[in-house]
Amino acid sequence: MPIDQSRLHRALNPSSVAVVGDKGPDYQWLTNQKHFTGELYSVQLDEKEIPNIEKMGVRNYLSLNEIPDEIDLVICAVPRAITPYVVADAIEKKVGGISMFTSGFAETREPEGVALQEKLVEMCTDAGMPLVGPNCLGIYNRKLGVKFGVGQEHGEGGDISIISQSGTHGMGMTNGAQSVGVKVRRAFSFGNGVILNESDYLEYLTNDPETSAIAMYLEGTRDGRRFFNVLREATKQKPVIIWKGGRSTAGTRAVSSHTGSLASSQSVWDAMLKQTGAIGVGSIEEAIDAMAVLVHTKEPVGRDIALVAMTGGQSVAITDQFENYGFNVPELGQDSYDRLAEFFTTVGGSYRNPFDAASTIRSESENLQKILEIIADEPIINGGVALEFRSRGFEKPEDIESILDLLEQYRQKTGQPVILMMPTFGVMTGDPEEAANVRNRIVDRGFAVFPSFERGAQALSRIVDHHSS
Amino acid sequence: MNELITAARKRGRSQLNEVEAKDLLADAGVPVAKTRLATTADDAVDAAESIGYPVVMKVVSSEIAHKSDIGGVVLDVSDADAVRATFDQITASVSSAIPDAEIDGIAVQEMVPQGIEVIVGATTDMQFGSVMMFGLGGVFVEVMKDVAFRIVPLEVRDAKQLVREIDGFPLLQGARGTEPADLDALESLILKVSAAVEENPEIAELDLNPVFAYPDGVMAVDAHIVLTAEDD
Repeated sequence: MPIDQSRLHRALNPSSVAVVGDKGPDYQWLTNQKHFTGELYSVQLDEKEIPNIEKMGVRNYLSLNEIPDEIDLVICAVPRAITPYVVADAIEKKVGGISMFTSGFAETREPEGVALQEKLVEMCTDAGMPLVGPNCLGIYNRKLGVKFGVGQEHGEGGDISIISQSGTHGMGMTNGAQSVGVKVRRAFSFGNGVILNESDYLEYLTNDPETSAIAMYLEGTRDGRRFFNVLREATKQKPVIIWKGGRSTAGTRAVSSHTGSLASSQSVWDAMLKQTGAIGVGSIEEAIDAMAVLVHTKEPVGRDIALVAMTGGQSVAITDQFENYGFNVPELGQDSYDRLAEFFTTVGGSYRNPFDAASTIRSESENLQKILEIIADEPIINGGVALEFRSRGFEKPEDIESILDLLEQYRQKTGQPVILMMPTFGVMTGDPEEAANVRNRIVDRGFAVFPSFERGAQALSRIVDHHSS
Repeated sequence: MNELITAARKRGRSQLNEVEAKDLLADAGVPVAKTRLATTADDAVDAAESIGYPVVMKVVSSEIAHKSDIGGVVLDVSDADAVRATFDQITASVSSAIPDAEIDGIAVQEMVPQGIEVIVGATTDMQFGSVMMFGLGGVFVEVMKDVAFRIVPLEVRDAKQLVREIDGFPLLQGARGTEPADLDALESLILKVSAAVEENPEIAELDLNPVFAYPDGVMAVDAHIVLTAEDD
């Protein structure tokens, strides 16, 4: 159903929120809105709950219509049988929109749930009411502090926005992105998607100037034709990562052609991703990895890369992985080799590319700077540098910041990506707690860091492909 | 609605036979081997004379899937007497193999030189609607299932990528000493089929199998179209 865009915008960017039916002991939905920048209200009839809600500093009313303020967004958490009454009140109150956490609708496949959902759809359609869900976690808006999980960050900024059919994965992708230093601007968990579906959210984010990239979790699409068209427009403006969950449940038809017998739902989905230029991924890890590279690599880059590892064995392993994902690890020019020969420790080390650099870096702290300068000057390298981090050569925590300074200089000077990897199963990974601290510092400084060479290579490869297609 | 589709529907048919499918595609600008349907031996001679010898003769029936297995296809028929004899021969072998088969007639088709065999098809996906498929013919499609898909309508870029996406693409570039296939002509055929499918929503499924790809040009040699159910 066509939803009025300004009304939708109002609901997704609220100045006032009313939570209807939140319950103790956690008061999950009111707690989620602790950092909301606008006016927060509660609607609750239960006399046992009201004192606790008021103790949280939230004004409680007995119905939506008693709230003196206009309401932009209703978060509905009442039992399913009550939902038609809340929707009726919301329509009467002329609220901006409704986010419905309540579940127990068509997803149950029971007649009662199906009928109730039909009722909500009818009411919302007649009233032009933007309904998020039902059976969803709803809306996260970083700037306004509207959240569906307390772990979600709030404040300025944001690189990427998320759309998820599943609440779990919407939360997981948001938290996962945050953990690798990606700021999530908005997230929508849309559940049953009966009024607003995946195409509506995608269209909204395509037009949202504050969203520079989009990541989606989908199990399918209701209107494939529309989704295809909306996605094709979206990717012209910003990258779209799509993680599809679930094998096909689209059903099988009798076919009497060769082509029909070969066209599985999965092969058509994969074709759709290629055709629209979306970035297809197969797991949450791949989705997060792709986001982490994407936010730091916004321009096309090449596939000729410099690899820096800390031992001979790791030089081989890192090269195998990057070559597997289609990168070239070329020999450098004679100029570079002449400069490297002046200081590089070749006993227990090597600089042909890949670099086996631990002894050289350890012996003199300026040597990493020299290596990075030479790689930056090397015309054959057009795909940046991928570096094994936190193993031999990086023992001293106080060195981390200066190393990150050097990597930042490299990135600024060349405009090429810097991919850092701290292999979980490396021989010299050190104290796990210290490793976690280092990882956080890397992330804080705006670098992508991966737990294996393979994940770093795969993520970079996806983004390089994306920019070149 | 396309006249051929309307006519087939009127007769209660859910498919276009080879000759109708080729006519529809030829009208859409797709290069197809010249083919005419003959219902008598005299018809067949007329068709062969206008197409030019030698010709291929094939039984046309929506009830026969593997027509060469039952003697329903004869290649290299070179004059009028041979056309008459072949007409009777095909009719006899088909009716002895499948006595009750409903036969539309015998197709008389120009003999075209062998090229690299490819398959171009279309089907209807439950989520996305019409999609097209491309692959190398024969064992590559039958056994390896080395095929790629795109959603209709295809753009120029989609056709280029579709052709290049299959694992067997090097064979079209002239592996093993053969001349490279005319990729521009192949892409153009794919785009014309895409346009035909888009223009005729009654096409549920379509196989062009094989299409011969030559160093200079392409030619669809067999065609089959399945229509959507009438209430769709």
